[in-house]
Amino acid sequence: MSESPGQRDNYILETLDISKHFGGVSAVDGLSISIPRRGVTSIVGPNGSGKSTLINLLSGTLPLDEGIVVIDGKRLRTIHAYETPDHSITRTFQEVRLFDQISVLDNILVVLTTRKFWAAVFERTNRQYRARAQEILEQVGMWEKRDALAMDLSYGQRKLLEIGRAMALNVNIYLLDEPFAGLFPQMLERVKVLLKGMREQGRTIIFVSHNMEIVREMADHLIVLDGGKLLLAGEVEDVLNQPEVISAYLGT
Amino acid sequence: MLNYFSRKERLIAFLLVAIVLIYIGWRSISSPEQAMQFGFNGLSVGAVYALMAIGFTLVYSTVWFFDLYYGAAAALGAYGVFYLRSQEWLGGQYQVNTPVVNIILALVVAGVAAWVLHAILYSRLRERVDPTTLRIVGGLLAIALGAYTGLVLTFPSHLHVTFGPVAALIVGVAAIWGLRLLFERLNGGRGHLAFQAIAVLIGAALAIYIGIFLVNSPGSKLYLSWAVSCLIAGTVGLALYRGLYVRMRQRSRSPLIMLVASLGILLALTACISIVFQSAPRPLPDPFGSVPWTIGGANIKGFNFFAIGVAIVGFLALLSVLKWTSFGRAVRAIGDDEEVARVVGINTTVIIAIVFFVGAAFAAMAGILSGHDTAIQPRMGLLLMLKGWIASVVGGIGNLYGAILGGFMLGLIEQFAIWDLAGEWKDVVAFGLLILFLSFWPRGLLPRK
Amino acid sequence: MMRPPGWQRITTVLRNPREALTLSRGNIELWANLLIILCALVFMVLKGATFAVTLGTVFGIWAMLSISLNLVVGYTGLLSVGHIGFFGLGAYTVAILTSTTAYENLRTGEIPTFGWPFFAALPVAVLVAGLVALLVGIAFNRFRDDIYVLVSFGFAIISFNVFLNFRALTRGAFGIHDVARPQIGNWVFDTELELMLVSLVLLAIVVGISWFIVSSSFGRVLKAIREDEQVAEVFGYRATHYKLAVWVISAMMTGLAGGMFSSWTTFIDPNSFILLESILLVSIVILGGLATIWGSLLGALAFVLLEEGMRFLPFLPQEYVGQARQVVLGVLLVVLMMFRPQGLVGRFKL
Repeated sequence: MSESPGQRDNYILETLDISKHFGGVSAVDGLSISIPRRGVTSIVGPNGSGKSTLINLLSGTLPLDEGIVVIDGKRLRTIHAYETPDHSITRTFQEVRLFDQISVLDNILVVLTTRKFWAAVFERTNRQYRARAQEILEQVGMWEKRDALAMDLSYGQRKLLEIGRAMALNVNIYLLDEPFAGLFPQMLERVKVLLKGMREQGRTIIFVSHNMEIVREMADHLIVLDGGKLLLAGEVEDVLNQPEVISAYLGT
Repeated sequence: MLNYFSRKERLIAFLLVAIVLIYIGWRSISSPEQAMQFGFNGLSVGAVYALMAIGFTLVYSTVWFFDLYYGAAAALGAYGVFYLRSQEWLGGQYQVNTPVVNIILALVVAGVAAWVLHAILYSRLRERVDPTTLRIVGGLLAIALGAYTGLVLTFPSHLHVTFGPVAALIVGVAAIWGLRLLFERLNGGRGHLAFQAIAVLIGAALAIYIGIFLVNSPGSKLYLSWAVSCLIAGTVGLALYRGLYVRMRQRSRSPLIMLVASLGILLALTACISIVFQSAPRPLPDPFGSVPWTIGGANIKGFNFFAIGVAIVGFLALLSVLKWTSFGRAVRAIGDDEEVARVVGINTTVIIAIVFFVGAAFAAMAGILSGHDTAIQPRMGLLLMLKGWIASVVGGIGNLYGAILGGFMLGLIEQFAIWDLAGEWKDVVAFGLLILFLSFWPRGLLPRK
Repeated sequence: MMRPPGWQRITTVLRNPREALTLSRGNIELWANLLIILCALVFMVLKGATFAVTLGTVFGIWAMLSISLNLVVGYTGLLSVGHIGFFGLGAYTVAILTSTTAYENLRTGEIPTFGWPFFAALPVAVLVAGLVALLVGIAFNRFRDDIYVLVSFGFAIISFNVFLNFRALTRGAFGIHDVARPQIGNWVFDTELELMLVSLVLLAIVVGISWFIVSSSFGRVLKAIREDEQVAEVFGYRATHYKLAVWVISAMMTGLAGGMFSSWTTFIDPNSFILLESILLVSIVILGGLATIWGSLLGALAFVLLEEGMRFLPFLPQEYVGQARQVVLGVLLVVLMMFRPQGLVGRFKL
């Protein structure tokens, strides 16, 4: 993947030779990828190919062992989780991780309120936050459930709420780990609508998925990983038409 | 940067450790006799911590929570010996034998026995024997065991007669079992019927010999009282597991729930012991006499040697059981993944119950040894439990080798620390070092893989 | 917002008394509220006003303690068993600064007395507790769950040993006599009624501060950190800072309670700050309810009533009252963990 510097601006997120080792195993091994600005990029690959680890590295959930991540022109050797909103990144998790024992509304509000340490003590929930939270919750169809505890929701609702929580943070890059897994068709449609809406707003969405139908429908770009290394990258149709991809990794 | 440990911090930690070691080494060279004394004291204190830590680790590596009941188990063990022995031993100074305690303990034993019989025998004999008969027989056996417990506790001065034969029987069964295991290890199979017969014969002969010996020697009462105390503390531990923890584990996955519940148990049992025995310290005389031996300039009590021996033998016995028997394999399987273990047909409830029993018995033994060494009081278990907990964490969470290493290390460090400080600061040193240590090595020295 | 949990059920139950019999969630809270408050009223009527006043002072101290601990345990999810250390720090600071009794130690010689007034010593006590909490908190921030419990046990043991053995300052097991009573100008708060007043005013301050924190955005972040620290970090909150801040605030309020305690008893020794007291404190917080301020008030009230109530049980000898209370609390803790892990009116299950 060699580009001239002029092309660099087209990429919002790049990784240069990043690695992550667990014991002796390399989950991500010298990986260099580039994610185009705007649009939807999907990361696919067989189990254990390092998809989730990549997301964890980009969001600071796991520390990088080697390599550099370039986010919007900023070259970073380490990414701390608490800095990711400043880098305009947020994420969802493969196994849904909500704030279980607080209400649905509070799950959204906690994302909206101030990050300033002492100001937070003096800040009450004002109308502006509440309106924004209502907007988000109505988008994910959960305004009626705002007072329920997050732990009491169904799996699909939890998944939706998690995406809603990420949306509440007004950033450019969304890393979604398996946003479509385990959802009923109705919920699936809802998530698709949400993602399309975000895409129209000009955000960059990066999602991991196993479902090739959805990838074909949703993604503009595709990155195929295998064994922690890059196998292929490019436009969805181009990549999917490569015979080796079809046979070896994606099934039919 | 509070979250991550940089290389520099590691370096500082190693330097600190090195300085401490060099300092201790220098002090030891300049006065080897004192070093010998402190080292030996450290080992003998460490033996108690190690026993406690082994109990913690055993349970932690199976069900992943720290059972704080062990604080009470240690006190129960020590007060059990006091209860059984004080009347004749301390010249009738304390009148402690109360029917209420005897009845409560008898009921606990009967309940646990009923459950154990039900859990182990019922499933095996269900097909062959009528369930009603089975239940009645099981119930009667449990009542008999309870009544026997009451009998043993009510006549502590005849312990060698009442409990001697049972102890002999236990030794005999253990011998038969051990011989068969040994044979299995050496030859790979169950072996011919003749070998089994020989094993049974040896075991029976041993049992009879020990039984006669014990009944005829009243001096054995002390050791028998240890055994009874450990058994009772273990049984209470098992009862708590079966009665409480099983249900909590079904309801919630959080380890803190059970930790807090066991804290409640510790609180309640400690207070119960205070009510029965009063909270003032009580003596538990040194069984081997208090005349110290002098070895290399250090004054050493015989009992301390014994304590170290108990810790090492207990560790080795537990290790070999865990390594070589099907029970040990089951324990490890449950520790790895309880669901999978259940699916492959391991009776997890029974195995975990046994683990709780053994762990509490170890804690009780630690309490007894510490009680003989100093004195007993109802709150003694709290500090002992914390020290054992520290040892198991420092040694490496969930690793048996780590437990014994951590125990002896903690004892040594405590003793060497009070070389230059006053003795009253040793708890501060222990906990201060724990916090410092965990900051650098959060998973202990030998963490379980 | 400050409406106590379970209160909204009252109207429902009044309209249809049968409702009260169904054991739904709200009803347990309602019954807990009613039962404990009724007990308190009955006690006051039976034992008279003087008794109620003493009860009020003790209640104020325990309530301050349990509310400040609830900030840490209930709202932030750090199960600290070491708060008795901060309580002791507050108490000893006030005692050392205000006591006027000379004390001679064989080893260290005469210990100077300061003779400060109470209200000058109290802020210092709060600051000392906060400062120590800052250092301890930085060390403790790395730990979680059961290891957190262990190291906080450690803090309790260390602080107890310092109180006992640092004789040059704390006078060891002899304790400190003649701690000053609160005083404004010439008005010394010397009677039980006046002390109760001070205690309850301080309690009101603690409740106010806690409520202000808990109902702010800061409080919501604390709850989020309690639920999932890593996710809270992903959304831009530095969990370690928030945990440290709430830990220090809680310790300062605990120190305040300690100062009050020391002035109320006028004599303190290390035996008031043993580990067991700390465990009792945790059990009060859990009993009342995690993550509610009202629950902590309720828990403290229940605890005080329990202690006083047992004193009047005819079959219980006086010397066993403490132990019996301990048994009851221990059993309650087990029962709660089994059936109601959030406590009576709690909003957070461990």
